[in-house]
Amino acid sequence: MDIAITGLRRSFGRVTALRGVDLTVRGGMYGLLGGNGAGKTTLMRIMAGVIAPGAGQVRIGGYDLTTRSGRRQVQRRLGYVPQDLGLYPDLSPREFLDYVALLKGLDDSAARRRQVEELLDVVGLTGVAGRRMKGFSGGQRRRVGIAQALLGDPALLIVDEPTAGLDPEERIRFRTLLAGLAGQRTVLLSTHIVEDVAQTCHETAVLAAGQVIYSGSVADLTRAAEGTTWQMSSAGAPPIEGVVVSAVARETGTQFRVISPARPSPDATSVAPTLEDGYLALMQRHSSTAVG
Amino acid sequence: MSGVRETLAVCRYEFRMQIRKRSLWITIALLAGSLAAGRFGMGPRYAPASPGAPAREVMTRWAFLFSVILPIAFGMALADRLLRDRRLRTAELLASMPPGSGGRLTGTFLGSVTATGAPALAAMLVAAGYETVRRGDPMMIPWGLAAFAAVLAPALVFVAGYALVCPLVLTAPLFRVLFVGYWFWGNLLLPATLPTPTGSLLTPIGSYAASWLLGTPVLHAGIPGPLSFLRPEPTGSAAAGSIALLVVAGLIPLLAAGLLRGRWRTA
Repeated sequence: MDIAITGLRRSFGRVTALRGVDLTVRGGMYGLLGGNGAGKTTLMRIMAGVIAPGAGQVRIGGYDLTTRSGRRQVQRRLGYVPQDLGLYPDLSPREFLDYVALLKGLDDSAARRRQVEELLDVVGLTGVAGRRMKGFSGGQRRRVGIAQALLGDPALLIVDEPTAGLDPEERIRFRTLLAGLAGQRTVLLSTHIVEDVAQTCHETAVLAAGQVIYSGSVADLTRAAEGTTWQMSSAGAPPIEGVVVSAVARETGTQFRVISPARPSPDATSVAPTLEDGYLALMQRHSSTAVG
Repeated sequence: MSGVRETLAVCRYEFRMQIRKRSLWITIALLAGSLAAGRFGMGPRYAPASPGAPAREVMTRWAFLFSVILPIAFGMALADRLLRDRRLRTAELLASMPPGSGGRLTGTFLGSVTATGAPALAAMLVAAGYETVRRGDPMMIPWGLAAFAAVLAPALVFVAGYALVCPLVLTAPLFRVLFVGYWFWGNLLLPATLPTPTGSLLTPIGSYAASWLLGTPVLHAGIPGPLSFLRPEPTGSAAAGSIALLVVAGLIPLLAAGLLRGRWRTA
């Protein structure tokens, strides 16, 4: 499902969350990066039809999200995992999925039951499928969230911070699962964990202060830090110049990875950038432009 | 048609979740048990029907006895049903589904009201079973169901409308406190003491329906007071009017909530 957003604005009282977002997504797995308060969740909630756009155009699969009928059409083709997903503690995962399936219009009871069982298996919850969800761990709750989103085989999957709070093993499992789902559909992955995008997406957009400051390939974003990524060792304080990406304590001192337009110290060596470096370089450039 | 199916789906699962609330069953059982015990011990005006009394009178007295207090439990149990989706953080997921807020609201209302009424209906059936054995009259159960439908069910619908919607504005604990106050003021306090709807068609305690079924005015039905046009003689048509008014009045807050929800989406 293609997504075409132009001039999207949204405010909550005096706070402006989105200030004219322009974004085009053409299927596959698409990452949406940005810091806290960048507007990612607001953008996701608008695309899921949870809140109305303030101004601008949002078209998903050709349907206009500013109209009621367009919103309904998109919601019929949508799987959504909100950032703060809640579950009913008195229901079992099987019952919850059955409920969501009914809401999504899966009326054939045999087909619905089959799909529920398949998805419970896909997310590894078959063993606890009949247990009430009260007391489920964060990982189990996320798995229920993913399973409900996949009901009805949606053409568009919107996933907001799916790996937040998960242990590394669960995070990798989720990433792999999501990447596997992107073959036949559009998967929009919103996250502030750059590594998740680096491992799963070809295309990405970066939001800052309610605006898209980058949209394009992950490789190009990585290249944004080419020639500005440095590695250096220091026995004392971190370098004053640039942004420190990482600091690893060693016997000889601390090894720093730094993003800086200029060489931060004479002994600093230029290294190949990662997506995280590219993202930080972009954010640094954006903040200096905004200040300037 | 798909809207109806989705509403029924919400109704089905709201029913399932509400009926599993142990506190609902325990509260209704304790209240109904206390009322039944009090009936034998003290026996006020809704005292046990005399031996040989018709099933209609016996079971109406039971329904009336229960309607004095059980609707308070209905209000308590329903006060968190719409807030719960916000509290459990399921509201956003539900808002991303095709059914509109109107369908969800209707389904929540139907499901939670039906489930909340189930323990009260069970209490009525236990009472009807007891009276059937005691008096040997098989009509106790049908009249028990009829008395439940005429006296307790309209009270449940009326209370449910406000109990579901008012906490969205007032918070559930504040609503519960105010609701208990309202119940005693608006149903039991005499108009001569303080202006009150007690004894009017809009009294959810069911005085008009019970008066009609018993054939004699009970619990202040038609007593002079403010809004005299709402205080006709307790006849059959007045009882039907009272039931209709209570149901409509209970649906008004739901309609208002449906409209407000649409506006919150764009706020």
